[in-house]
Amino acid sequence: MNMSNLTGTITKNRVLVVFAFLLIFPFLAPYEALATDVLIYGLYALGLNLVFGYMGVLSFGHAAFFGVGAYGTGIAMVHFGVHWVPSIFIGILMAGLTAMIMGAMAIRTKGIYFAMVTLALAQCVYYIVYHMGELSGGEDGLTGVSLKTVDLGFTTLNIIREPLSKYYLVLGFVMVAIFIFSRIINSPFGSVLEAIRENENRAQACGYDVKLTKWVAFSISGLFCGLAGALSAIHLSVVPIESLHYHQSGLAVMMALLGGMGTFFGPFIGAMAFLMLEDIITTMTSHWQLFLGAIFMIFVLFFPRGIWGSILHWISRR
Amino acid sequence: MTIKNENMSSAGLSRRKIIKGAAAGAGVLAASPFLLNIAGAADDTIKIGFPVPLTGPYGSEAKEQALCAQMAVDEFNAAGGLNGRMAELLVRDDKLKSGEAAKRTQELIEKDKVHFVAGSLSASVQLAVNTICADREIPYVSISQSDAINEAKNFTKYTFHEAMNPHMTAGAVGRYVFPKEGKRVAFLIADYAYGHEMARGFKEAGKAAGIEIVAEVSHPLATKDYSTFLPRIQAAKPDVLCLCNFGYDQMNSLKQATSFGMKDQMRMVAPALLYNQRRAGGAAAYSNVIGGTNFYWGLEDSIPSAKKFVDAYRKLNAGAPPSDYGAYGYAGVGGLLAAVKAAGSTDADAVIAAMESTPYDLYKGEQHYRKCDHQSVQSVYIIESKAEADMANEYDVFKIVAEDKASEDVLRSCSALGLG
Repeated sequence: MNMSNLTGTITKNRVLVVFAFLLIFPFLAPYEALATDVLIYGLYALGLNLVFGYMGVLSFGHAAFFGVGAYGTGIAMVHFGVHWVPSIFIGILMAGLTAMIMGAMAIRTKGIYFAMVTLALAQCVYYIVYHMGELSGGEDGLTGVSLKTVDLGFTTLNIIREPLSKYYLVLGFVMVAIFIFSRIINSPFGSVLEAIRENENRAQACGYDVKLTKWVAFSISGLFCGLAGALSAIHLSVVPIESLHYHQSGLAVMMALLGGMGTFFGPFIGAMAFLMLEDIITTMTSHWQLFLGAIFMIFVLFFPRGIWGSILHWISRR
Repeated sequence: MTIKNENMSSAGLSRRKIIKGAAAGAGVLAASPFLLNIAGAADDTIKIGFPVPLTGPYGSEAKEQALCAQMAVDEFNAAGGLNGRMAELLVRDDKLKSGEAAKRTQELIEKDKVHFVAGSLSASVQLAVNTICADREIPYVSISQSDAINEAKNFTKYTFHEAMNPHMTAGAVGRYVFPKEGKRVAFLIADYAYGHEMARGFKEAGKAAGIEIVAEVSHPLATKDYSTFLPRIQAAKPDVLCLCNFGYDQMNSLKQATSFGMKDQMRMVAPALLYNQRRAGGAAAYSNVIGGTNFYWGLEDSIPSAKKFVDAYRKLNAGAPPSDYGAYGYAGVGGLLAAVKAAGSTDADAVIAAMESTPYDLYKGEQHYRKCDHQSVQSVYIIESKAEADMANEYDVFKIVAEDKASEDVLRSCSALGLG
């Protein structure tokens, strides 16, 4: 692809571009809670994009990492009274651990089988959590994850009363994650991921340990999704059982596709487009699924690069 | 240089520039939502958020709840509102998912600045809505059955429960049925919170009657085929079978039980016998089933407020009478607005005080909120489903056989709930 200066600039400064945009985003979104949701789901789709877009492996089980991250954080806060900051890290680590275990089993398979195995394993996680009624709340979900104020040392944020400060609190975490993600993509490890996507046999012939790379990438991807889940527990103050459902896995795939798989900013654009469309259409008609489905099909058929991918492609051709 | 500088160097941070520049990626698709962020002018409308599952398996019930809630709002406005302040109902689709409901409720409070929230049609979803509202000090009236919402873990002073709870309904039905029909009791339980809460209510009521539990079978939520579950119950030869399930599960299990000939062997009992489900399922499947309900339109013959509600609904709906869950929507929002009028303001504390202290009678006789857990104390009506031959018209599906009078005695005690 013949990149012009502009796309080159965007790619080089991608973290800054994303940051600048997300900084002003809540003033553009219909309301703050939706903006926060876009952040969380953008991060979630970003995590999936590491294996889906960059490594070319489709997983249908990422809800497990999102959900375990959310439940890990929520349970630590509600049942063990842990402070919210370490709770988030507990959530991330548990999600990472789940990803390591699921990854170890799933990377033996390829293609559609990989997607099916991850789907099945994620459903196992769903039912395990569902039946841990005492801890997880089962069907009712986990309630009472109320983080009302955040003491930053120099000031105290009332995140319930001021949804904007909640957005920036979440943004803080998301930006650190985006920065780390960018470094991973830029590293030699990131190049191996893309090599696997382009030609797995050749990457293996070049001497890369494809299985190990896949496993590590899958686990890292789980960490990112776990953070997204942890942040959603704090954002919603409840952890619904459907955060582990396979619909949730499909959501990440849909957002990554819509925004542009394998592009850095695509998942956020996808999350934004999806959530905002859903927000608007559901207030207008109860047949929202029909419209979203049609839009999704139009994109898959006519813009396979996704929104952001198509824009980058279009700019670079001018 | 970034894309941001590229597009915004000349004109500063006007909204349109930002839309064109930084949001280029979102393109036309997302541009329209951006434009919606024009802060709503501060008006003095009394706003009530109403999240219900318009899509999903309970869609028809939810739409009826919204319709009835709108009736309550229209009546309030027609009567002059609160000294000229009009009320407005904001209906949102919670998709029967608690995460979605939590999001929608945040939207209602943050963006639409609602004063109150009512609604939800699921034991789990209402707990999520309750958490969001309580954290933000917005009074919430739940219009869906749940035991958990009355418990200390979930109850706050902002929490009101207009619907009956499983303990009340199953208890009332059990007290009526067990002495009459026999002591050998079997349970068919939908394996989720509400299913088990109903079974618990029956067992509590059964203690006094000295029942013997001969079978207890759980089935997964949304089961279509009951042929593996029902024979186990048949084999136990119970006098009474308690169906602790809801909606389509109730309908499907009843249909199959009927075709297995189980009605001749035992009495079928359902704590929440639903009007819409009965009409969808047909007279044959439901005939002779005994159940509990908050409301049946036949109450119009004996209760003036029921007559008023049914007549008003009929006028709007081509003669069709309202359903039980629709009535919850009417009472939930109507009760809230009556309290607003009594308090003379929309201040949360004043309205809460008014709701705690004022009995109300909107559609089924007198009700009041118990002080300790804000559970609406109300009569449970015991109904029996009619056979095809006994029906006067298509709406005439139930016969009211008894009334379990409104009383705090049939509720779990405040101390049992952990509330002092």
